[in-house]
Amino acid sequence: MKLLALMKKEFTRFFRDPRLIVSMILPGILIYIIYSVMGTAMTSEPAAYHFNVYVSGESAVVQTIEQTVELNEGWTVTFEQTDDADAARAEVETGEATALIVFSEGFDDMIGLAPRASIIPAAELVYNSEDSAISAFAAIADAVLDAYGRSFVLTTTDYAQSENFAAQMMAGILPFLIVVFVFSSCMSVTLESVAGEKERGTLATILVTSARRWDIALGKVLPLACVSLIGAASSFLGVALSMPALMGVSIDVAIGGIGFVDYLMLFLLIFSFVPLIVAAIAAVSTLSRSVKEASGYTSVIMILMMVLSIVTAFVDGIGGWVVAVPVLNAVSAMQGVLMGNMVVWQCIVSFALNIVYAGVLVFLIARMLSSERIMFGK
Amino acid sequence: MEKIMAPFADFGEEVVRAENLRKTFTLSRKQQRLDKTGQTHKIAVAGLSFSAYRGEIYGLLGPNGAGKTTTLRILSTLIRPDAGDAFVCGHSVSREAQKVRDQIGFMTSELKLEGFFTPAYLFDFFGALHGVEKETLAKRRKELFERFGIDRFAEVRIKDLSTGMLQKVSLVISIVHDPAVVIFDEPTNGLDVLTAKVVTDFLLELKAMGKSILLSTHIFSLVEKLCDRVGIIIDGRMAADGTLESVCAGSTLEDKFFEIYHAVKGETI
Repeated sequence: MKLLALMKKEFTRFFRDPRLIVSMILPGILIYIIYSVMGTAMTSEPAAYHFNVYVSGESAVVQTIEQTVELNEGWTVTFEQTDDADAARAEVETGEATALIVFSEGFDDMIGLAPRASIIPAAELVYNSEDSAISAFAAIADAVLDAYGRSFVLTTTDYAQSENFAAQMMAGILPFLIVVFVFSSCMSVTLESVAGEKERGTLATILVTSARRWDIALGKVLPLACVSLIGAASSFLGVALSMPALMGVSIDVAIGGIGFVDYLMLFLLIFSFVPLIVAAIAAVSTLSRSVKEASGYTSVIMILMMVLSIVTAFVDGIGGWVVAVPVLNAVSAMQGVLMGNMVVWQCIVSFALNIVYAGVLVFLIARMLSSERIMFGK
Repeated sequence: MEKIMAPFADFGEEVVRAENLRKTFTLSRKQQRLDKTGQTHKIAVAGLSFSAYRGEIYGLLGPNGAGKTTTLRILSTLIRPDAGDAFVCGHSVSREAQKVRDQIGFMTSELKLEGFFTPAYLFDFFGALHGVEKETLAKRRKELFERFGIDRFAEVRIKDLSTGMLQKVSLVISIVHDPAVVIFDEPTNGLDVLTAKVVTDFLLELKAMGKSILLSTHIFSLVEKLCDRVGIIIDGRMAADGTLESVCAGSTLEDKFFEIYHAVKGETI
């Protein structure tokens, strides 16, 4: 009852103030516009592009790939039948040909029979993603093949020296950006709600009531986490929707490789570290005497988190210990999900630990609210 | 719980008891400079004891820095005593703070209301925090808002209210849960004469309803008008405590206060 009243007050404070709502949603819109413009400027594929693709074996899926590719204005594709797969591979590796698709014998007929058949049909997609247009083609072909039928083995070979640009962008940058945007939205509401109330003396008025300190702490963190999720969702959508433009592919292609379970894991990971970040900022705000002071401390935490997130994204060989580090565990797990290497235990442990850490921080906030030195120290 | 009755006619059982309360604050360097002292600690309350009974108004009278506000903050559980204890309706402020908060209504200029909300919203909000039933809350809001003329401003944001109206809103919100003990720190400070009259009249009404009221002030006339008993605090110590008649002993309160002040401090104002 008391917890509900406290939570309702925070929600009312937010939803009755149009400025706060705009400040939560605006970043997502701005991110979408800015990144889309940046993407259009950066990805300089010619409006007209011709793909030369070798095909070994036969399948009707080739027509579907052709139709899907040619949906992009100015893009055309020619499929050339070949019996010499090795020569075709060599051309693909040097970039002379766009890709090679190898189908096993009787591919289309076998798909209907599998998995009862003794021989499982197989397809192979060979490409070199160093050219971003070829990368886009490969992503389309991969998505179409993936959707064609589940009962065959699909292998992909990428001759690119560097990792796939799109996957690298998605896996490396996106979790980092999510953390930054989540932190920003958490900061904008939490500082004002906790440090602001403490500075103005309105928090002390609540402390004289019958409400327990635990309820007061939870009554701040829970609604602020919900509100921050709105801001985080806005920013996330802004990034996710502008990512295709940034990578130069269509949205279907950009998200084609991510399935329902992956999205669920991403959501759960974000869901776990939002309350954690809110609780951390609320704890710092409770300790601080003013919004200005809290803002200073929080900025330091944000910079630290940004540096560690970017390190996690681009430094290889980070051990399993990262799962114990709050927020970074989620960043690392999200990178795995986006790269298609989801480690389920890592996602679940990260989720659980972040919730536990948030709970510990709420407990600490409740203790701080009882501390005369912290609440009323001059 | 053992009932201790007032040793005076017309009053009920003891509802507030302070026992040898002590409170020391650490002085910052800035505060040391302002106070022109090299001492790192300031004794705000030095072994204060007193009692307040049902149906009386007890006044803590003293100059600035005497320890009045610190004492009231201890009683309202905002801060803890370094030594000694205080009891409100039999509950210890140190060990049963939650139960004490259920019993008290505390109003001080330090406790503020959020400017974004309206009096009606905050009344309901604080009522819910005190666990007041919705129906009771609605009835009480109607009564109190009409009594103080807040009803016309019920949906005006706090930040847009006048100082007097804000004080009235703070007052009604502090007693939203109909507490047994009402603690007011300098209740008429900064108020215009009209609002001050409304507040003092209401304190007398609360007394008539059997509530115990503790207030701190440095205004002699306020004590003479309102208080049944008075405790004179100087340098954190209780210099005199009793009914107005017994403390004044035929003098005016003002004359008696300065006489006591001179005796304690050895200074003449």
